[in-house]
Amino acid sequence: MSGEDTRARFERIVQPHLGDAFALARWITGDRADAEDVVQEACLRAFRAINGYAGGNTRAWVLTIVRNTAYTWLARNRSALVTAVDDLAATEHANANLAEASAGGTYAANPESDLIALADAAKLEAAIATLPSQFRDTLVLRDIQGLDYREIAAVTDVPVGTVMSRLARARQRLIRAIEAGE
Amino acid sequence: MTVTHGEDDRAILLVHAYVDGELDPANVIAIEQRMAAEPKLAAEQARVVALRRALRERLPQEAVPPGLEARVRRTVGLTGAPPRPTWLALAASVMLAIFASSGGTWYALQPSAGEGTAEAVVAGHLRALMAPQPIDVASSDGHTVKPWFNGRIPQAPRVVDLAQDGFPLVGGRVDVVGRTPVPSLVYGRRQHLISLTAIPDASVATNKSQSARGYNVIAWTADGVTYWAVSDLNPNELQTFARLFRDAP
Repeated sequence: MSGEDTRARFERIVQPHLGDAFALARWITGDRADAEDVVQEACLRAFRAINGYAGGNTRAWVLTIVRNTAYTWLARNRSALVTAVDDLAATEHANANLAEASAGGTYAANPESDLIALADAAKLEAAIATLPSQFRDTLVLRDIQGLDYREIAAVTDVPVGTVMSRLARARQRLIRAIEAGE
Repeated sequence: MTVTHGEDDRAILLVHAYVDGELDPANVIAIEQRMAAEPKLAAEQARVVALRRALRERLPQEAVPPGLEARVRRTVGLTGAPPRPTWLALAASVMLAIFASSGGTWYALQPSAGEGTAEAVVAGHLRALMAPQPIDVASSDGHTVKPWFNGRIPQAPRVVDLAQDGFPLVGGRVDVVGRTPVPSLVYGRRQHLISLTAIPDASVATNKSQSARGYNVIAWTADGVTYWAVSDLNPNELQTFARLFRDAP
């Protein structure tokens, strides 16, 4: 494949997703300047891998590379911030189960959904930023970037069932954070 | 108790998946029945819907830093370094800024047609995405979708088959813009949906492209009808869609 083809493929496959790539990197690193570095590095990786790209969902493919690059970047530059997978498993265990978490409070009039609707941007940002990384990534990919479950499963390299439970837990934590902050 | 816990957990996950439109029809019916019967599940649904709306409406749209695309293109060797701005380029950008700000004034003075309609069609698209089904009539066959509109609105829209081009027809629905019911066709592109709303009103500038609430919007006018294409699809592909629809026989 000639250099020209590679470039055309890059423009077609990677470039349309720069906005999503930057947004995801920004959520993972928590910093716009760092996110730019991550996107640049991820694009270089994508460019080098592009002739091996077998087709399918281009956005999921690009975001997978961005996410992996972001974590490598974090491990290199700020190792303390990365939640180890073991810690996360413990967190998931220690969590009360979903049904119990959602059983708090009264159900009838449901004033809490009004409360949620009023949450301001700063509070939402802060609540998302404090989620454990796997929960946060799943929530960002679904509720901010609009990927479907199968795409998220591909990007985060877990089964769809795990996507579902992480997403539900992430949303319940967010809802509790909003209610607690009121 | 542990057994019912597992079952409750499953129901909660299904409620989330229901809000996300990820359930098959059988599970949709099952969970709708359970939500009707169990306040706990109904409350969970309300919370999830409220949270999703808050995230969508309150979080600021992430702006891509201006130089990032050029930087990336340089990194992979697509372009050379950008030319340094000369006084001529600076003068041109000042002129552009003046032009843009006068355009802004013009908009402020003429608030109605374009902006309000863009808001309305994006709102229609959003509402549809939040519903379990984004369409009222589900069919990939234009000959099914077009007649469905007859009797619901004064004039059935032009329906174009773009399946060969990778934009299959998904169905249609009726939106309300201002107080007028108008037809919206829904096309698919991979996992994305495109709402194409047809408004019998030629007062909008042709082929206008913008974004509203994080969605890309393209409007153009043909034969006295203004078409509004709304999607979370990237602007390039949405432009392609608009061009294909416009140029179709």
